[in-house]
Amino acid sequence: MTPNGAVIFGLVVVAASVAAASPLGFAVVAALVLAFAIAGGGRKAATALLWSAGIVAPLALFMGLVWVVIVGRAPAEIAAGVEGSRIAAAAYVAVICARLFIIAFVVQAAFQHFAGATPLRFVRGLTVPLTVKKLLVLTLSLIETLLQAVDRARTALIVSGTITRQFSLRNLRHGWILIQTVWLTVITIAIGRTRDKWPTEGTLTLLDNALSAPAGRRFAAADLIWITLAVAALASALGLR
Amino acid sequence: MFTTPRLVAIALCAALNFAIGNIVYLVKLPVFLDSVGTILCVLLIAPDVMAAIACAFIAGFIGVILTGLVLNPFLPWFMLTVLAIVLVSALLTARFIGTFRMRPMPVARLAGAVVLCGIVTGIVAAIVSAPVVVYLFGGVTGSGSAFVVAFFLKTGEQLLNSALLAGFTTEPIDKTLQVLLAGLLYRATPQDFIAMLRPASARPAA
Repeated sequence: MTPNGAVIFGLVVVAASVAAASPLGFAVVAALVLAFAIAGGGRKAATALLWSAGIVAPLALFMGLVWVVIVGRAPAEIAAGVEGSRIAAAAYVAVICARLFIIAFVVQAAFQHFAGATPLRFVRGLTVPLTVKKLLVLTLSLIETLLQAVDRARTALIVSGTITRQFSLRNLRHGWILIQTVWLTVITIAIGRTRDKWPTEGTLTLLDNALSAPAGRRFAAADLIWITLAVAALASALGLR
Repeated sequence: MFTTPRLVAIALCAALNFAIGNIVYLVKLPVFLDSVGTILCVLLIAPDVMAAIACAFIAGFIGVILTGLVLNPFLPWFMLTVLAIVLVSALLTARFIGTFRMRPMPVARLAGAVVLCGIVTGIVAAIVSAPVVVYLFGGVTGSGSAFVVAFFLKTGEQLLNSALLAGFTTEPIDKTLQVLLAGLLYRATPQDFIAMLRPASARPAA
């Protein structure tokens, strides 16, 4: 699968999950995403499934508490001014959670298809302007720099007694010092790279050449098959409302 | 508009949006702080308003997409909220860049600016976010504001109104904190870096 195909497939599936309103409609879309996940990752599809369930489960509990336990009726019943029922509220929560689960699952399933690719290879395969590709690569590089700066600064501030590992009032008072330390570290690195290192090494020119080199076809045959199935799922979801 | 230093600033602010979530998790703070980089990008590139809007929106967009792919798959739905925050920051918060960098720090003036900008940003963000919160999350996003929504629903308010009212109670507080952090980070940014982001004609003479 190509990056372009994965993005379009994901967008169409998200549209299908938003359009779906009946259990059968959700089942069709979910089955498609499950097949997509298995095709991309085999047994690792279970990991994607569990991760998505893990993201949605706390939301589901929260929604159940608010809608079923506290409010006790669905939004449509509130709008109609009728007494309503907890069953209708539970059905409403189920629809929302199914939608959220499919959105989370399709993102993880798409990741499975590119598990062996580097971020640079993925970005290179996207059909977007060169400036956008460069921005994505720079951002990923700076995220790495930032996270390392966070790690070093946090260790130093814990050792100095300025902040603690666990939640504490000290962290509320001095958490700002960690943020400021990280920012100053990264800004200094960014200034050094922009003004000295990159012009000397020709880094940005090398990056432009790497990102603008041909990366193969924009779409593969598999992309067209999956996108067609996603469009069919969208049509089914609309038809089964 | 997109010089190399500005591309670096966009990437930096997008990375900050992504990484700051890590920081608040590590120090166990009960806040989100997911737009600090976006607001900071506006402050860094102001007073070129159009460039500030374009660069900050791109920074917010990339940050939201990357966070959506790795941490929270529902965040990309709030793209319009990112745009709203950028516009408020460019048209209002950026007017106070002089105040943010004044030395010594004018505490009362800074506090007033932060509170004003935070409240306006919060109200606008609440209005723009409400339809997404209602349609995608059924009014419940897993934060404490869910109980505020429940309260208004119990009183017979419609779902959209309840989500809006809940947003008005929580978003101004969150956005005020984010404007404060962005302002303080802007204050701490070396003048060298800010000068690199301004066009040559707008830089002070050597």
